[in-house]
Amino acid sequence: MNTEQPETEIVVPEQDTGTQPLLSVQDMQTYFFTDEGTVKAVDGASFEVHAGKTLGIVGESGCGKSITAKSILQIIDRPGRIVGGQVKFSPNGVGGLNLLDLEPNGKEIRSIRGGEISMIFQEPMTSFSPVHTFGNQIIEAIRLHSSLEKKEAYDLAVDWMRRVGIPSPEQRMSEYAYQFSGGQRQRAMIAMALCTDPSILIADEPTTALDVTTQAQILDILQTLQKQNDMSIIFITHDLGVIAEVADVVAVMYLGKVVEMGPVESIFSSPKHPYTKALLSSMPTIDAEPRARMPSITGSIPHPQNRPEGCSFHPRCPSYMSDICSLKEPELVSVGTDQQASCFLYGRD
Amino acid sequence: MTEVSNVEIKKPLLEVKNLKKSFPIKRGFLQRTVGHVRAVDDVSLSIAEGETLSLVGESGCGKTTTVRAIMRAINPDEGQVLFRTGEDETVDLAKLPLSQIRPLRRNIQMIFQDPFSSLNPRMNIFQLISEPLLVNGIGNHQEREDRVSELLRQVGLRPEYMQRFPHAFSGGQRQRIGIARALALNPRLIVADEPVSGLDVSVQAQVMNLMMDLQDEFGLTYLFVSHDLSVVNQISDRVVVMYVGRVVEVGTPQELFRNPKHPYTSALISALPISDPRNRGERPVLEGEIANPASPPPGCYFHPRCPFAVDKCKVEAPPMQVISGRLVACHRAEELELTGVTKQGVAAG
Repeated sequence: MNTEQPETEIVVPEQDTGTQPLLSVQDMQTYFFTDEGTVKAVDGASFEVHAGKTLGIVGESGCGKSITAKSILQIIDRPGRIVGGQVKFSPNGVGGLNLLDLEPNGKEIRSIRGGEISMIFQEPMTSFSPVHTFGNQIIEAIRLHSSLEKKEAYDLAVDWMRRVGIPSPEQRMSEYAYQFSGGQRQRAMIAMALCTDPSILIADEPTTALDVTTQAQILDILQTLQKQNDMSIIFITHDLGVIAEVADVVAVMYLGKVVEMGPVESIFSSPKHPYTKALLSSMPTIDAEPRARMPSITGSIPHPQNRPEGCSFHPRCPSYMSDICSLKEPELVSVGTDQQASCFLYGRD
Repeated sequence: MTEVSNVEIKKPLLEVKNLKKSFPIKRGFLQRTVGHVRAVDDVSLSIAEGETLSLVGESGCGKTTTVRAIMRAINPDEGQVLFRTGEDETVDLAKLPLSQIRPLRRNIQMIFQDPFSSLNPRMNIFQLISEPLLVNGIGNHQEREDRVSELLRQVGLRPEYMQRFPHAFSGGQRQRIGIARALALNPRLIVADEPVSGLDVSVQAQVMNLMMDLQDEFGLTYLFVSHDLSVVNQISDRVVVMYVGRVVEVGTPQELFRNPKHPYTSALISALPISDPRNRGERPVLEGEIANPASPPPGCYFHPRCPFAVDKCKVEAPPMQVISGRLVACHRAEELELTGVTKQGVAAG
């Protein structure tokens, strides 16, 4: 990899002054305090989510992408704890409520969870109660966040089931989660998450457990509903292909930190951080020459408990510079017109 | 079954003919059989020495059941599994009594999907890799130790790690250990069931490269099972696409993915997320869900989802035929112009 330093501007990223972000996460830190030591699962993640747009968070296992999402809603299990940062939520362009100030079990955050900010998960089987009918669960969700009567809630639920493409919704309302197929369950989960008309949907690997043809259907539905409802999506996945399909802005995470951020076109056409570059080139593709050797990243992802000193990617980095990378931690700096990367290749004085 | 014409088939190492396996569905107190799941429904394929043949398809298509039947981990109901032994004898693994299979087992080894559950956590690396040698009574302790060091080096691990236990290794390293264990007995055929699906992208490429390198070095033959078309494209010499227990298309990755002849192959390709945000756009999304193998539709199993289905497809199962150098089971294969992969990703239909 070349080590030239073009298009470098030494500018510390300013807050976007154009439009007020719907959600702004600043320097979020979530640590897990285990007997073996502290695991810094998320260590200073910052990003913004704008109205109607999709932020894609991509990274490999252990990079903290799921913990970041859960931290927004304060649904971190012990021994995890959010130790720092801010999550500014500004619905309707006003406010700037710091979600992290709210009591984790308090009334306010609970009305936001599943209300203004909904979440869908990878494994929809475990997200549903096995002993309640699907209808009762979705009606409960609706009535928890609105003052609708039972009949009205039922009608709304059926309507949502229809909108996510579940055939004969009236009949399926009285069925249980095990009677749904994987794809149907994910549709049902989307219906349940969206029935409260949230302004932000957090989707944590929603298509990872699905087959490709089903995945394509689910991505289609999510994008259609996003347009209809003018909703923002935080889409978390390890799959760069999916990110390329759905995201407007991409944040690449590695070991608890955002290492690169920018519009999806820029990230894919001219990745800046060596990790992003390596990740993109090591992806198997269907248009590649068969049986060609694939470029790969050396080594493996370190255990988060023994994170390397300095830049945590340095032991695997092809552009490693011995005089700085293992000594100092790089900051996220602006690179080019619209990207940010945390790497000493850029913005080094 | 007709032979694939364009690939020069040396004497096949393994030939599967009309393999069938169905599982009974039992219900009620008396466990009465109420139906059958046709997991593998008349599958034929052949693998030449030194080639990589991939089985690809969505969940429930019978790819794993096929390899389990080949391994005789389950007994097939019908069909032949003809394996050429080291003495150039051809034996039918489907019919041999288990006592005669056992000495043949060392010829066929397996690599599993989950590197976490496939290694016994209480055995160290030496014990794990030398177990196949021990079971087959090969060498004394010192010889086995030498062999394990050699194997570890071949898969890119340091021999000093021999006394460590699996928990000390990352997913990619564990998969390497699994590969070393599979190689221990110099098998003639390696069956790899989703060997890279559980790995992160950056590690996936390493393991795929390793498998290809080992193949070049030792002339290994792989039967590779995967749901991921991109992975299959990069590792295979020939690909078998399966749908609900049946083979729908067989050919080289170039033929199959650039110029598919079966509508299902084409649908799989178009469902694949494309890692190029500039190529985002409307593409046909396959409707419906995978047919239930317990009550598959009449005729061609794919016809309820197929955009090109005609009346004939609803009544008559399409036979396997050779069309432009590959095998395809579709009534309309000759006339259809299907969308495949182009250099810029997936072409517009």
